[in-house]
Amino acid sequence: MSLFTTTAPSPSCQPAPTGSDSSPAVRPAYDVKETADAYALTVRLPGVAKDGLEITAEGGELRIAGRRNWKQPEGWTTLHRETSDVSFKLVLEHDARIDVEKIHADLKEGILSVSLPKAETLKPRKIAVN
Amino acid sequence: MRIINYTYPVSRSPYSGLEGEINRLFSSAFADFAGSTRAVNPQFAVDLYEDNDNAYVRAELPGVTREDIGVELVDGTLTIQASRRQPSANGGESTSFSRSLSVPGEIQADKVAAAYENGVLTVTLPKKEESKPRKITVSVK
Repeated sequence: MSLFTTTAPSPSCQPAPTGSDSSPAVRPAYDVKETADAYALTVRLPGVAKDGLEITAEGGELRIAGRRNWKQPEGWTTLHRETSDVSFKLVLEHDARIDVEKIHADLKEGILSVSLPKAETLKPRKIAVN
Repeated sequence: MRIINYTYPVSRSPYSGLEGEINRLFSSAFADFAGSTRAVNPQFAVDLYEDNDNAYVRAELPGVTREDIGVELVDGTLTIQASRRQPSANGGESTSFSRSLSVPGEIQADKVAAAYENGVLTVTLPKKEESKPRKITVSVK
């Protein structure tokens, strides 16, 4: 899934292809906005705290994995259940268009905001002609 | 005559999951054509649990500040409202959500507590004493 395809942000989670690890995962709702210097990625990860979150960037891919750490207490009878305990997994390809060293991420109240500065080579540059 | 509210428990039949998914698929597909309601009032996921002493409601509301969450209990119906403000180039937009659900049993309205953590709102509703399940032993003569 590319970071740059402008698909409409999906309001709900979708089952994600699990890939190499066999644990079930859902793709969280996310949104990418572009500014002159960077891409701003916003991912909705309800129920995920900082210790359950893992962000890795390797080989032109940005991977975000979030584990929900809520366990239903003993003695609670479920009357109606819409949420799930499945982990989140999001993989985005960025094709080296972002500067991996300068990625900055912030998790607040279940919303992960990642700022992905564009790689230097891609910024518009004036070329002087002799 | 009393009108009793039944909440059917989530059935464990092999079809219940699939039916639910297909219903949701249709409702979301048609919502795009119909436009209005879905976009104006998006839904958030809600869970309802109970144990002997309390009823619990969990709502997934990521990205909302505590001040923007409203929880109201009127006559056994709990209403959760939230508004999410998104700052954007043209002055910010805000979306509001609201969902009501009926809570089983008689609730002590003044002891209801709510906590918001990691984007999940948990409302604890203590049941009134007479509503708690009690064992009554009957001696048979």
